Amino acid sequence: MKTRLLATLAALSVLAASGTAQAQIKLGAILSISGPGAAMGVGYKGAFDLFPTEIAGQKVEYIIRDDATDASTGYTIAQKMISEDHVDAIIGPSLTATDAAVAPLANQAKVPMLAMAPYEYDPQKQPYTFNDAQPLSLMVSAVFKYMQQHGVKDIGFIGFSDGWGDQVLGATRQLAGDGGIKILADERYARTDTTCEAQVLKLISRHPQAIMMGNSATPATLPVIALRHRGYKGGIYGNHGIVSPAFIKVGGAAVEGVIAATSPVVVAEQLPDSNPVKQVAAKFAKDYAARFPGQGVGPFAGYSYDAFLLLNNAIPEALKSASPGTEAFRVALRDALEKTHELVGVSGVYTMSPTNHNGQDARAAVLVEVKDGAWRAIQ
Amino acid sequence: MTILAPLLLPPFYVTLAGYIGLATLVALGLVLLTGISGQTSFGQASFVGLAAYATTLLTKLAGQSPIIGLVAGLLVTGAIAWLLGLITARLSGHFLALVSVAWGISFFSLFGTLPLLHGFNGIGDIPPLVPGTGQRVTLGVILAVMTIVMTMSANLLDSRTGRAMRTLNGARLMGASMGIDTVRLSRQVFVLAALYAALAGFLFAHFQGFISPTPFGLGTSIDYLFMVIIGGAESLCGAPLGAALVVLLRDQFNDWIPRLTGRAGDFEALVFAIVVIVLLQRAPDGLMPLLARLWPQHPAAAPSDAEDEVMAPAPAPASAGEALLDVDTVSRNFGGLAAVRDVSLSVCAGEIVALIGPNGAGKTTLFDLISGVLAPSAGTVHLFGAQAAHLSPHRIAALGVARSFQHVRLLARRSVLENVALGAHLSGRAGLWRAMLRLDRAEENALLDHARTQARRLGLGALLDRHAGDLPLGQQRVVEIARALCLRPRLLLLDEPAAGLRLAEKQRLAALLRQLRADGIGVLLVEHDMDFVMGVADRVVVMDFGQKIAEGPPEHVQADPAVMEAYLGTVA
Amino acid sequence: MQDGITTGAIYLLLAIGLLIVFSVTRVIFVPQGDLLAFGTLTAATLQSGQIPGTLWLLDGVSALALLISWHRAPLRTALTWGVYPFVLTMATLLLARFEHPAMSILLALAIVTPMGPLIWRFAFRPVADASVLALLIIAMALHFVLAGVGLVFFGPEEARAPAITESNFELGQLNVSGQSLCVLASCIILVAALRWFFGATIYGKALRATASDRLGARLVGIDAAATGALAFALASFIAALAGVLIGAVTPLSYDAGFDIGLKGFVAAIMGGLASFPLAAAGAVLVGVLESLGSFWASAYRDVIVFTLLIPVLAWLSLRAGSGEERA
Repeated sequence: MKTRLLATLAALSVLAASGTAQAQIKLGAILSISGPGAAMGVGYKGAFDLFPTEIAGQKVEYIIRDDATDASTGYTIAQKMISEDHVDAIIGPSLTATDAAVAPLANQAKVPMLAMAPYEYDPQKQPYTFNDAQPLSLMVSAVFKYMQQHGVKDIGFIGFSDGWGDQVLGATRQLAGDGGIKILADERYARTDTTCEAQVLKLISRHPQAIMMGNSATPATLPVIALRHRGYKGGIYGNHGIVSPAFIKVGGAAVEGVIAATSPVVVAEQLPDSNPVKQVAAKFAKDYAARFPGQGVGPFAGYSYDAFLLLNNAIPEALKSASPGTEAFRVALRDALEKTHELVGVSGVYTMSPTNHNGQDARAAVLVEVKDGAWRAIQ
Repeated sequence: MTILAPLLLPPFYVTLAGYIGLATLVALGLVLLTGISGQTSFGQASFVGLAAYATTLLTKLAGQSPIIGLVAGLLVTGAIAWLLGLITARLSGHFLALVSVAWGISFFSLFGTLPLLHGFNGIGDIPPLVPGTGQRVTLGVILAVMTIVMTMSANLLDSRTGRAMRTLNGARLMGASMGIDTVRLSRQVFVLAALYAALAGFLFAHFQGFISPTPFGLGTSIDYLFMVIIGGAESLCGAPLGAALVVLLRDQFNDWIPRLTGRAGDFEALVFAIVVIVLLQRAPDGLMPLLARLWPQHPAAAPSDAEDEVMAPAPAPASAGEALLDVDTVSRNFGGLAAVRDVSLSVCAGEIVALIGPNGAGKTTLFDLISGVLAPSAGTVHLFGAQAAHLSPHRIAALGVARSFQHVRLLARRSVLENVALGAHLSGRAGLWRAMLRLDRAEENALLDHARTQARRLGLGALLDRHAGDLPLGQQRVVEIARALCLRPRLLLLDEPAAGLRLAEKQRLAALLRQLRADGIGVLLVEHDMDFVMGVADRVVVMDFGQKIAEGPPEHVQADPAVMEAYLGTVA
Repeated sequence: MQDGITTGAIYLLLAIGLLIVFSVTRVIFVPQGDLLAFGTLTAATLQSGQIPGTLWLLDGVSALALLISWHRAPLRTALTWGVYPFVLTMATLLLARFEHPAMSILLALAIVTPMGPLIWRFAFRPVADASVLALLIIAMALHFVLAGVGLVFFGPEEARAPAITESNFELGQLNVSGQSLCVLASCIILVAALRWFFGATIYGKALRATASDRLGARLVGIDAAATGALAFALASFIAALAGVLIGAVTPLSYDAGFDIGLKGFVAAIMGGLASFPLAAAGAVLVGVLESLGSFWASAYRDVIVFTLLIPVLAWLSLRAGSGEERA
């Protein structure tokens, strides 16, 4: 039995070793393509179709793997990418929980990773971890600023009972105090629920002036429809997780007036020309729409693209001192990434430093509203 | 030594080997629980999670040593499993499966919701088992633990308790009649399987250094079941086989399918599931039985000396004439129907009483009332002078009452010896832990010797190693009687022992019964074979429509006009 | 509460489907929930004027069935797996562009219903005599197959099935949606139809006979394979119907069916996998427990619902006694 197992293992490792083609630069991507995170995974994955297969004259191989929205699977995949595929950098993971699982591995092996979900960490302890998604506090504070301008003093929260809901609620709690906003109630529902009437009734009974949502994709329409159905008149606010055409398609008339903070790329065309992101973002949005007709670009495709842009910017620098496939190259790549300065992406503008591996600022969040069946930028 | 070879693998394969080892631990528990004891659980992953979170909280957040984490994990999981076991041990079939789904989902939601556990984003940076070492060292520990647990499980199966566990799988009534406390035993097995899972959880947390709720959800529990079923639920080796197959297949699919289809994420789970279905269709009992067929069986054990001993003296505790069984005007109603009405009956030491009557007369119901399967609606049952009407079957067996069944109840896929030895359950005391640690050998040998003796006494000496299910029906009945005698009963209840026996066998059985009578054992038998009854019985009780219509010596009863009319009338 | 009853009705439909399949074939039809999602998503796709992937799936698998069953009963096979899919495909291609709600719903039902018998044909019939456990595991694996197929054909986004009616009624203080009434009405009609089917038709009687005594039914010449296919057809029809009904109330994604199916399973178990009225009570109980649980502490809803179920199930099991010995 044991020897049999061993033989299989040995055979497999030979197989894996022989299977590696000799590409110059290898980039591994860990994305949640199936499972509960699949709705966001579509965008993350789609962007890869637009990436060039050459950077600075070097061939690039992309190894895309699905973690099935499970951090443990993501961990195994990362292990394999690092020790079997010898990738030069990891794009992703696209799920916060997987980021946390993969980061220690990547840092130990000195492989730069570009997390694409809001993930909090100390860049000095994890020097190889970078993050191109807006911290949720950035998104939530943009919403709070708008609320304050419109005299909102108290809110109710409703979100998913999962990691995403946790994160949004965390940021909301953290910022509510500073903004002088009170959270009257927090309610949760599951992504796969068919109804959240009960939660909505409870929210309404506390009479909050506005509702903050911690959910994503089309299941986010559930509380909006229920709230409007029950005659709730206050404002309903969300985050970039809900900003997709599908949200409006499923939600219909009920979601008119929903406001959310999101990446600039989503409404690139509508941004004022003064917005530094507009040009890059509009081009990417156009390319994406051409490749995937009818889908519309969401913030998640933008994170993949920004990860590419960041690498695209750093790789030529790293190539000067080392060649791909070596540890020296990965170290140089990391150093170059850390020196990123005013790089215009589609989700914001990045300026990294040893203490800031996200590098975004207020330019990374714009407010959008559902108007006449489409997402419109709020000027 | 080969077991340690995975330690030399490259890092990624160390991880894979670790996962296989951990899954094997959980699967071993499931083999015992599902394959052997017939209890399906869709909740094993939550036990893994309980222990993983327990050790994580203690080592990462409270800075304790992993040993504390291990102890805490085992205690917490054991305690929760014990509480759940209070409910599940009595459940059967779909109810248990469903209850396990229910707690599986409950714990998964709890892991994801409790603020203490950091919700769905999980907890990272869990210290390794040995400070400053990597996965390789932990893998060594995993493989060692796996080997130990596997050995202990094999010990368990080859013991008195292991035999008893097999009766939990669809033969609980038979087990209880042999004196096995089936409820307590299934709870023990349930807790044991949970502890295996807890061990895996503890190691998992320190091996991976990171935990989140997803690996402890229903999906993973289903994966564990896949492993066990694919490997072969009834054999311990099925666990590592299934675990390795599932882990490796998933890994390979994740690699090859995106390469073949050019799309990652869409097809992996789909293809894996189809492979599972095809595997199960080709080998519904798992792969282990197929592999076992390829391997040469160990040469059939040296044919145990076919010499059948002649009537070893059985213990004769009762003095002749003492009342062993006293049934006083008992009734039993099912709904409005009275299956047994006001029947009185007694059996004395050294007496053979036959209970006869047409089909549906209530004979088997009366048997069930005496052996504790049913409680009487009215009336009393005294055994050996003490009230026994509401005792459970295993307590009645412990008093010294053994029975056989109208429809033979044997473990068809176990050897004759093992089946007979089930009857000797009460003459041993070694439990789960002593069996696992092999501290039960002296007792076990004595017990098997006793079983062999009884089997030979009934002419089964040459068949001891055959599967009970392969024997002709007549011989299966004899195995049942041997099993009953193994209990060293003072009162023997035989339900149609002569049915399906050939003439020579019947004569042999009659001789045995007479011998037992001479030893002072009381026998109550239900029988349709009139010649047989008239030949051995001291007294005959006739029932019809739930009532006793006649009683007396055979020749007397045969002449009774009421019997002629009611009984023979229906037959003729 | 109203919500609880509507979802309870859906659980009841699924429970009935599970009961039929289980009593006839001993299969616990886990993937029924996935067929429900197929129902919703197929109708939604048709409503948006596109051809759903499930149609091609049906054509492909039917062709396979045609190929391997041809030699046994050419005429019947050709009708079931050749002519039917062909006509259906033509009809769909012709009618899809009208985007008419009733048309979409009917086509969705016609597309999803034959999947039950196909599942029976390929997954279960070859191992019809295996243990309940093995069948259950195959059913679990099938759930992953169907969910995978759903992801490939429909993508991960949710979709909403066309509503039968958009109207709302004021009943005293209550605001009742027309679709909820449709759900309840369909549920009642279906239950009545099934009563008639089982009581008065020869097929229904054959199913009942098989359910009560498999071996006996075989002895009197009832074709076990045919009754199995019929049971699966009923179950998948029920699932598809539940899908288009609930899919109009709430959008569903490819993997939403499992949870719904699970709750139907709970309801069915409450009926002891044998009794329809008890299953109905169980279904409503689960639905109501769920809305109450959401109200008390929404984050812990699943914990509450499933933890409360454990004692209920234990009580039911003890009351039912252990059936193993008589089986």
